[in-house]
Formats: sequence, C-alpha cells, structure tokens
Amino acid sequence: MAIKKILRLFSAALAASVCALIFGCGPSKPELNVYMWSDYIDMDLVREFERQNSCKVVIDIFDSNEFMYSKLKAGGTGYDVILPTSYMAKVMFDQNMLEKLDLSKIPNSKYVNQKVLSDLAIDKKMEYSVPYMLGYTCVAYNKGKIGEIPATWDVFSNEKYAGKMTMLNDHRETIGAALFFTGKSMNDSSDQALAKAKEVLLKWKKNLAKFDNELYKVGIQSGEFLIVQGYSGDIFQVLAESPNLAYMCPKEGISMSCDDWVIPVTANNKDLAHKFINFLCDPKNAAKNMEFTCYSAPIPEARKYVSEENKNHPGMFIPDDLYKRGELIRDLGADNSKFNALWDAVKGN
Amino acid sequence: MNGFQTQTGARAAYNGRKLSEYLLTAPSFLWLTLFFAIPSVLVFAIAFRTADPSGGIDAGWTLASVESVLKNAYLGVLWRTVWVSCAVTAICLALGIPVGYWIALQNPKYRYWLLLVVIIPLWTNFLIRIFAWRVLLHPDGFLRQSLVALGIVPDDVFFLNNIGAVIVVTVYTCLPFAILPIYAAAEKFDFSLLEAARDLGASRFCAFRRIFLPGIRRGIFTATLVVLIPALGSYAIPDLVGGVDGEMLGNKIAAKASAYRNLPEAAALAAFLSIIITLPVLLFLLKQKRIIRSVVAARRSAGDSTK
Repeated sequence: MAIKKILRLFSAALAASVCALIFGCGPSKPELNVYMWSDYIDMDLVREFERQNSCKVVIDIFDSNEFMYSKLKAGGTGYDVILPTSYMAKVMFDQNMLEKLDLSKIPNSKYVNQKVLSDLAIDKKMEYSVPYMLGYTCVAYNKGKIGEIPATWDVFSNEKYAGKMTMLNDHRETIGAALFFTGKSMNDSSDQALAKAKEVLLKWKKNLAKFDNELYKVGIQSGEFLIVQGYSGDIFQVLAESPNLAYMCPKEGISMSCDDWVIPVTANNKDLAHKFINFLCDPKNAAKNMEFTCYSAPIPEARKYVSEENKNHPGMFIPDDLYKRGELIRDLGADNSKFNALWDAVKGN
Repeated sequence: MNGFQTQTGARAAYNGRKLSEYLLTAPSFLWLTLFFAIPSVLVFAIAFRTADPSGGIDAGWTLASVESVLKNAYLGVLWRTVWVSCAVTAICLALGIPVGYWIALQNPKYRYWLLLVVIIPLWTNFLIRIFAWRVLLHPDGFLRQSLVALGIVPDDVFFLNNIGAVIVVTVYTCLPFAILPIYAAAEKFDFSLLEAARDLGASRFCAFRRIFLPGIRRGIFTATLVVLIPALGSYAIPDLVGGVDGEMLGNKIAAKASAYRNLPEAAALAAFLSIIITLPVLLFLLKQKRIIRSVVAARRSAGDSTK
C-alpha cells in the first residue's frame, strides 16, 4: 500500500516536472552568465540591462581571484563575462584563457580615464580587459575611543592598542604594507627588502588580534577592534553606518587595485558580453554603480551624475595625493613563492 | 552420487550467497571507490606533480612539494594542530563520560529528553553557533566585562582571537558527538556489575575506573575518533575565533590551494594530514586484531571447542 502511494506520488512529481520543462520556459531568452565579487554591482542596473536587451543575467560570486582562476582551470565553463583583478586578468590572458575585445562593440570605452590606463593599468590598450572599479587599502579606526591617529603604517607597532588591531589575511597586502613602511615598493621582491619587511611584520604581529579579511568590518563597528586595515569600499560602507569611526591613508604608500571586465574564450554569448561591458561604461550607469559600491569607476564623466553630497567622496573619487601614493599589485611570477615563504614564516612563528 | 549432489547443491547455495553478498556490498563499495578511494589517490598523486607558477599543475614529477612540507616551516603548525586536537579530545572525554554515565542512569522516561537537549544545538547551523561564541566572548561583552569588574580576569586578557578560544569552541562543537556514543555504550552496560564490585570491596571510584570504563571502552574509542579526526582537520573555527597564532593545518591547506596558487603543496599537506589521521587508527585496529587472536588461541589451548 505504502509503496503504491509513494510510486503514485513519485510519478505525479515526475509528470509535473516534465510539464514544467516543456511549458515553463517558452521561447528561451538569451542568458548572460556573470562571474564577479559580491555586493559589487547595483542590481537595479542589472535589471535595466535585462529589460533593454530582453535577456536574463545570472550572477555567480567568487571571493578570491585564485579561487575563480582554479575553477576555470579545472574546466569551469559557461561564464560570459568575468571580473578579475588586473594582475589576475594578465595571468589569464597569458594563459590564452581570454578573448581579445572588439572595442567597436564597446563604444563607451572612450569614457575610460586615459590617465588611469597609462598610470595604473596593466592592459593599457584595453586589448583584453576594461577597467571597472578602482579601490585602495586603508586603515579605519575608532576615533570615538582613541582620538585622531597619525597617518602611518607604524600605528601597528603601538603597544597601547595591542590585541585590538587587525591586518588583512592577504599576504600581498600585509607584506606590501611593511614594504611601504620600509620605503620600498610593494612589488619589491629583492631579498634585502623582504628580510626587512619580515622584521617589521614580526614586530607588528605581536600587537595584532588577527589577520582577517571579513570579520574586521563587524569587529570595528562593535568595538572589538580599534584599528583595522581594510579595503576602501568595505571601509566606506562601514563608515557610513558608524559616525564614531574614521579612516586614514598611510603616508608611506597604499596599495591600489583595479578590477577589470574580461570575456573568457569559452563564453557562449560574446556579443551580449560586449554589450554588458559597454552598458557599465556608460557614465550615468557608472555613477549609479559608484554610489552603490563606494568604489571608484575610472569614468571621469560619471562625476556629473553623482549626487551633490558624494561629489567629493574619497572612495568614489580618489584624491590626487592618494592617487600618487597608490601602487598596483603586480603578479610576480616565480617570485610569488618568496612572498609565500615569508608569509609562512611570519604566521608560523 | 547422493553425496556429490548435495555437495554441488551446497556449492551452488554457497555461490549464490556469495553473489548476493557481493551485490549487497556493491553500492557502498562503489560509493567508497568513487568518493573516497579515487579522490585520495588523486590527492597523493598531485602531491608529486610540479606546480606551474600561474597556479595549475604541470606535467612533470617532483619531490619538491613533499620536501617543503616536511621542512621545519610546518612543524610548528603541525605540532599546534596535534596538541590542540588532543586537548580537545581529552576535554570532550572528560566531560562526555560523566554526562553519558549520568544520562544512562536516569529513568528511561526522561532519557530521551536529556538526549534531545544534547542534540538540539546541532539544529542550528555550525557557523551561526561559532558567531554566537564571538558575541559571547566579545571584549566588551557581558561575560568578560563582569569578570573584569569582579577582578577575576585582568584587563589585558582577551577571550577571543587566541588558541584558548579555538579550544573552547571546538570542544563545544564536538561535545555532542562524544556524549552520544558514550551514552550508547553506557546504556547497554550492566550497572549491577558496579554493585558487585562494591560488594567485593572496591571503592566507588575504583569500581567506576576498573569496571565501568573498560565496560564502555568501545563507546570511548568511537568518541575519541569522532572528536579527534574532525578536530585535526578543523578549518573554520581557527579561522573565525583564532588569533595571529591560531592557524592549523586545515588553514594552511586552504591558503596553499587558493592564495599561494600551489596545488601540489596543498595536496602534499593534505596527504600528510590523512597519514597522521590514519596511523593511530590503523595501529589501534591491528592491536585489537591481535587481542582477539590471542583470546581465541587461549580458548583453544584451554580446550574450549565452542567457536
């Protein structure tokens, strides 16, 4: 009896799903599969793009360049447009994983800041990538509890705040900060520079509660941490909610990063992917996107469309002096392992 | 003629039984091969491949990854992983045995309610429970503030982001898995044996130690395994409540596979970890086999013909 009942239920379910398959979709809309970071695009814009092109946009999320890369390398396909950080876009291009862009299909690429391209970008001619958002790494602190602090990476050596500070769990960023502090470039992989950076890091580490990429956002708001190193967009989103917090950009130098749209060779819908990139380079859309993410789109024209209170927002429009101090993380090829070994040594002690 | 027939009949029956045995074990055998044996072999194989600097696996073979894993750099992390896991297991047993003993002694009517109380926390997602601990141990939280105010804890001691927090939270997450097998063994234990021991002059504690503990040793063994093995491979807890020195092998493997873009080293570390886990279990099983064999031999020599 029971088995009959189950069988009947099962066949009913099967019939229902077959019906859904046949009648549910109708003439299927073209689909654009996007692979990007979380909370990094205004969903209203995505919906507008869907309306304009009568398509469906599916967004899939990754939380590190390396994870995304290894997924693609392991045979992951189906993505039409991907948003890696510049250094990773270069690695992917060198591995023949990326399509060459047809800029005639991205007319709005003319709005992209030439200065950003020539100063910072790795792919200066937008051969395989179009820059989307610029961000930097800075330091947020609890002004309400500790007052104003000097703008230097050396705050992390202050024992007064021991156990209440965090730095990023990102070897390039954290070793980079130590390299900046010793007066070097964050991409310097010479042995002397790294040996000095190690000394500095070991000194800082004694005062740190954690190396962390996620919890610091809640931690600085709840008072668990007083000083945290973090990404600009995250920090400005937190600052907007907590008036007792402030931020500073160390005078020795800061790391900047740029995320770029790329189209993988395995993309199914390359035309639509070009349209999507073009849509986001439109100054009006870029302005909307900046106000949502607090990061800086390299589209100077967009400033016109940003609301009055945000026209001088330090996250959306990176101040000139900061821009000059900024440096982009570059892929170091075989020298990556030196940074890895140093990070192991710092964490293992 | 007749004998031959029965013999072939028996053989056919035997073959049939054997076939059905194979068929019965086939699904689990397939499952284990597909999802355990093949992946494990792959992990061990990748450990000997060369890494290409862009993050893939190259065609060559090398011992470099295995060497780098065996180098001193990881001994610190390995030692921390082992001692933290052993401490967690010891604490879980120390708490789990009395609780299992106590529950087994209760009126059967209430036992299941008590077991439910042990299990209920598992209905909440693992990560959410860890975040709840972060709230509980927060430096400005009620617990620490009141202990500081009472003068029990000095002001510069923090409860979060250190190895102590890792141990406390791991014990918390593993404890139900220690209590359940110990309870299951204790429930079948004949408590009148304890009374008999008392009658023969054993003290309460002596009876507990020499009669009860050996009586539930299977439960204790299972509890040890289900706590020790996940603890050795733990990753999320040290990441979330550990401090700058809280990294364990699991975190190192994750870092190698993602941030360092070095899959062979990640695989070598993972293989290393599985060897560490397998060795004690294997030793134990061998020892147990030897015990069984010696018991059987002793019985035989004593002329015990019942099998």
